[in-house]
Amino acid sequence: MEVSDRKQSKGKLIASGIIPFVFLIVLVIYIFGPGSDVLDLGVPLPEITMEKIDFVDSEIQVTVRNTGPIPVVIAMADINDRIQPAAVEPDGFLERYETALVRIPFAWNEAEPYRIGLTIEDGTRFEKEVEAAAPALQPTLELVGFFALIGTYVGIIPVMIGLLWLPFIRRISKQKYHFFLALTAGLLLFLGIDSIEEALDVSEENLAGSFNGVLLVTTVIVLSFLGLYYTGEKLVKRAVASTASSRLSKPVAIALMISIGIGLHNFGEGLAIGAAVGLGSIAFSTFLIVGFALHNTTEGIAIAGPMSRGKGAMTGKSMILKLAALGLIAGSPAIFGAWIGGFVYSPFTSVIFLAVGAGAIFQVIITILRWIREEGDKNLSSGSVVSGFAAGMLIMYLTSILV
Amino acid sequence: MNKPRSKIIITSLTVIIAMSALYVAFPETINAQLEGNIFATHSGGVITTSGVVIDPVYTTTTDPEYTEATVEFDPMQYLREFNYGVVSTLPDGKILREFTIIAEDDQIMEVSPGIFFNVWTFNGTVPGPTIRATEGDIVRINFINNGAKSHTMHFHGIHPAEMDGVFEIVGGGGGQFTYEFEAGPVGVHPYHCHVMPLEEHIVRGLYGVFIVDPKEGRPAADEMVMVLNGLDMDFDGENNFYAANTIPFYYQNNPIQINTDELVRIYVVNMVEFDPINNLHLHGNLYYYYPTGTDLVPSFYTDMITLSQTERGIMEFQYEFPGKYLFHAHKVEFSEKGWVGIFQVNDNPQDKKSTEKVDYGS
Repeated sequence: MEVSDRKQSKGKLIASGIIPFVFLIVLVIYIFGPGSDVLDLGVPLPEITMEKIDFVDSEIQVTVRNTGPIPVVIAMADINDRIQPAAVEPDGFLERYETALVRIPFAWNEAEPYRIGLTIEDGTRFEKEVEAAAPALQPTLELVGFFALIGTYVGIIPVMIGLLWLPFIRRISKQKYHFFLALTAGLLLFLGIDSIEEALDVSEENLAGSFNGVLLVTTVIVLSFLGLYYTGEKLVKRAVASTASSRLSKPVAIALMISIGIGLHNFGEGLAIGAAVGLGSIAFSTFLIVGFALHNTTEGIAIAGPMSRGKGAMTGKSMILKLAALGLIAGSPAIFGAWIGGFVYSPFTSVIFLAVGAGAIFQVIITILRWIREEGDKNLSSGSVVSGFAAGMLIMYLTSILV
Repeated sequence: MNKPRSKIIITSLTVIIAMSALYVAFPETINAQLEGNIFATHSGGVITTSGVVIDPVYTTTTDPEYTEATVEFDPMQYLREFNYGVVSTLPDGKILREFTIIAEDDQIMEVSPGIFFNVWTFNGTVPGPTIRATEGDIVRINFINNGAKSHTMHFHGIHPAEMDGVFEIVGGGGGQFTYEFEAGPVGVHPYHCHVMPLEEHIVRGLYGVFIVDPKEGRPAADEMVMVLNGLDMDFDGENNFYAANTIPFYYQNNPIQINTDELVRIYVVNMVEFDPINNLHLHGNLYYYYPTGTDLVPSFYTDMITLSQTERGIMEFQYEFPGKYLFHAHKVEFSEKGWVGIFQVNDNPQDKKSTEKVDYGS
């Protein structure tokens, strides 16, 4: 009779898990269900968000999303507050979160500012300003190559240059080594905060309030952090377990995790650069590129830090190959980011990737701090660690002025 | 046995999240395409779209199946509609013209294709009916306020203080007042509600035209009324639409038909609020202008008159050559927001000249 008892108790368990849900559903149906006007108080205000504006041949195209609580109908378009005939595809009626493409034929001039307005059926007008009109980028081979080149300049080359500090870091004393590790953590903390700021900026400017920008960023950061933390732990444990075979020693495993984190971060930077080119701020983007290049050199140091304490097989050709691979992992995502940012820019994906990058960075910082603690007599408050951390933040702040 | 299952769950969850993220990010690429729809731009380009055109021609229907509008307003009908009232003769021989005007403030008007606005109305439309009398007639207005707010009727012109519609506030929900005065002076005048906040009561639509004809009359003409007005749809103190007779672009999409060599007389009243000036420019012609219409001799011969708030006058002209002629505000912002129209000048059927057409070459 024990078996049936267990079955019974299992059934009870499932039931006790489901019953609250049933009540919740009943509640929702009662409030929202057809014919229910219990809570029909107040005036819901419509809201639409123009997420993307493309300047194509004699036409301005607006991707618009209904981000309000009620359905809306797009009734009219204007440019610089002057009414223009237009078309909405597939149609002007938008349910919550539905999007449409508004096509406004208009002989626009390159590099001039435009205010695009859309009016909905109750006469409310929404406006979005474009600082400088630039033709929407077409993914031609030439442009693909151009972005790859920019990504290389911004991502791969500076990281590789940073890695060249490895021999130097390797020869210094333990104290100084800890200083450099802490410096790396400081650099990364700055980068993480920088990504969060960028993500919040993009969501503030381009995403509707209903996306809860701050909460979206926070949630994605935590999820990204947890995902990488879990994977990283697994990786390091496996590395420790298989030290004998030594294909992946603990320092390399840690450097790899740092590379992945920085790579995710550089993907976000690539997005920003691609988007800047795509949105027509060309001068701004050359500036960005120089700034990012200087900025990212410091990322190479972050990877070089743990690698410098590798033992055994960590010399010669295999070492160089490993370093090159790590540099590529950290730097090349900038290329992919630039492609996506330039050709299929969407503020929503930008916010997501920037937040993922931030979460990754925080995971890396935790990894490095633990590495210092293990290496350095379970102590994080030594002079070298504290001064290194502070120096890292300062260096990043100073180089960030260039961006 | 547990681990692979959790892996499957995690993998499928990831896929689902990724798919939905992609859909949120790039939904337009997933929507199916429909067949083409063609429309012309203001600059003459022709565009094909798989979607819906949002510059359709205004319709005047109030069929609830097609519109939420309660106001039925036909700008073409309003253009040439004059109300002379119920006429009777008083014992002293004077003509009495009685009108009933009902104010409401809950009407919904389709003020532009697909755009609906709560207008405040005299007799159900914006502008209210054109009231017309001859100098010296007694005008009696039985005013009923069926609105929720207080309203009055204030006529520009000469009348006793208690008929001025300023201090005699008429309460909503059926309040009544009888305005009675002798029509004068000769000319074209506005009437409007004069309850505070005044700007709101005017821009919401409580205004109309009051014409006083001279006893000897004016020469026969194709007569029209144009109220130059604007609408502030988002209550930010700026007009979103401008028009002659409320509906933006209406007379551009539906040209006013007139004849060559026939006198056209327009009673123009500027009721635009917020913007200090408005004006009227006529293409391919000039008009004789009678400011406020109080004189029988024109003051100007021009193609451009600038009007401030409630400034008004009479414009007279006739076209020699048939064809399409624009008329619009030369404050071009206003014309790009709807205050633009077309006179379609047709060969006058009663005109000999049109049968003996001159060939000017090409």
